Amino acid sequence: MCSVHDTVEFEKRGIPSTTIVTAAFRKAADFQFRGKGMEGHPYVVLPHPVSNLQPADMRELTMQFVDEVAGYLKS
Amino acid sequence: MANRLAFVDPSAGGKKETILLAARPSDLVGKVVGLLDNTKEQADIILQTIGEALCERYGVERVVIRRKEHYSKPAAVEIIDEMAAEVDVAIAGLGG
Amino acid sequence: MNEQVDEFEFFLEKDWSDGLPVVTPTEERIARMLTGTKRPPDEVIGPIPPAMEIATVESVAVHALMAGCKPGYLPVVIAATEMMLRDEFNVNGVQGTMHGVAPMMIVNGPYAEEIGIHGGNGCMGPGFRANAAIGRAIRLILMNLGAGIPGVSSMTIFGMPSRYTYCLAENMEDHPWDSLAVSKGYRPDENVITMAMVESPRFCFDDVSDEPDRLLNGVADTMVAMGSWNMHTRSDMVVAMGPQHAAICANAGMSRADVHSRLCEIAGRKVGDLKNGGNWRRERALAFPIDVDPDDDDSFIPAIKDPQDLQLIVAGGWGPCTAVCHGWSGGSRAVHGSYQV
Repeated sequence: MCSVHDTVEFEKRGIPSTTIVTAAFRKAADFQFRGKGMEGHPYVVLPHPVSNLQPADMRELTMQFVDEVAGYLKS
Repeated sequence: MANRLAFVDPSAGGKKETILLAARPSDLVGKVVGLLDNTKEQADIILQTIGEALCERYGVERVVIRRKEHYSKPAAVEIIDEMAAEVDVAIAGLGG
Repeated sequence: MNEQVDEFEFFLEKDWSDGLPVVTPTEERIARMLTGTKRPPDEVIGPIPPAMEIATVESVAVHALMAGCKPGYLPVVIAATEMMLRDEFNVNGVQGTMHGVAPMMIVNGPYAEEIGIHGGNGCMGPGFRANAAIGRAIRLILMNLGAGIPGVSSMTIFGMPSRYTYCLAENMEDHPWDSLAVSKGYRPDENVITMAMVESPRFCFDDVSDEPDRLLNGVADTMVAMGSWNMHTRSDMVVAMGPQHAAICANAGMSRADVHSRLCEIAGRKVGDLKNGGNWRRERALAFPIDVDPDDDDSFIPAIKDPQDLQLIVAGGWGPCTAVCHGWSGGSRAVHGSYQV
């Protein structure tokens, strides 16, 4: 999927990058990273689905993953 | 004697180039974070939340948010190039 | 140790298999298949997403062969492969989507008839080699070269029967109007393919109407399900009128353009109704390329947001039925083009 593509393009340009996907697309993300030469690249997996969450709940869920995101962007 | 297959196997799957990880900074203090929104439902809230939290918790100086044309298409090269020139790290979402 | 390889088991066990046996690709069969085109075997057609393996004339020929094509079908398969790689068709998105849409091929022009692409009774299958094999060749290319494999790179929830194969012609013998290709500006003697990312059809049966108003009301109703992405995004749709239904419209003096614009006009639902189920979201309505008021329960949401998104054809056998094929949410625009034999 295309957020993976975008992350790979950033990495190619020397910009540390990660992707956020929902759990139903984990295999597709793994496949895409592998196919683009970045097998095992760390990315964030949110539980699926999120599309029916209200904004406040979406924010609360997202906050649980902030440290993980930061961890993938710094050494 | 090796057994010679009498047919052609057209299965795909050649060797792919390996891309090296970009060097990571030791921390995010004073850094500019790029957020690439692919317009999928909730992507905007997720990325905005992460952006704000990174500023608060990790000392990120500012965030740059760009939106793609459509969630199922890769970002235009121009968007990636422009962001890469402006940001130190980037997050792309929402896949799926 | 020499071992016998069962050729059918060999290919059935591939993760890109569609679950059915293939015609074993031997050098001799490949050479014979390549006689179906004047183009050089090493000519590059393009990378098939998401795996981006390069399709060449030869590799397309191999997939056509495996699918059961005759050499004469090859020009259609090559042309369709090229066409589906256009940006606006968005194969990359469809290969990974949760949806089950497939690239439906509508083949117009004299060559389709010459090689036996069927547009009459049973044209959506099974039973017609050209329809079955040409559509299947495209699917094998998508699964092998593109690696559009369910559970690996494709998150399709159900898949869809039309993902096995989806290719037909119009029923020109009983067609009261011009073909889809002619309506798009091609000459009748041009060989043309139109491809649209759509679902398997749902049928609108109507053996009661004897005039177009009521008939088209029923067809329009079949175009507007709450759970259809056509109501919630800009999306293509194929409406395949059986010749009996088309005749009711034509006999009442309606042209193809009249039927097309009538369906665009009446197929839709009010906001107040759409809110009650399915994919309704206010933000989706605000993103339409047309003006609607998502806060007004009486605002009318048409299924077709742009007239060029409705592919109206006449196909199938004689009987009181029209087939409606809904579209995708992810931004795919139908493509069309002429091809050389």
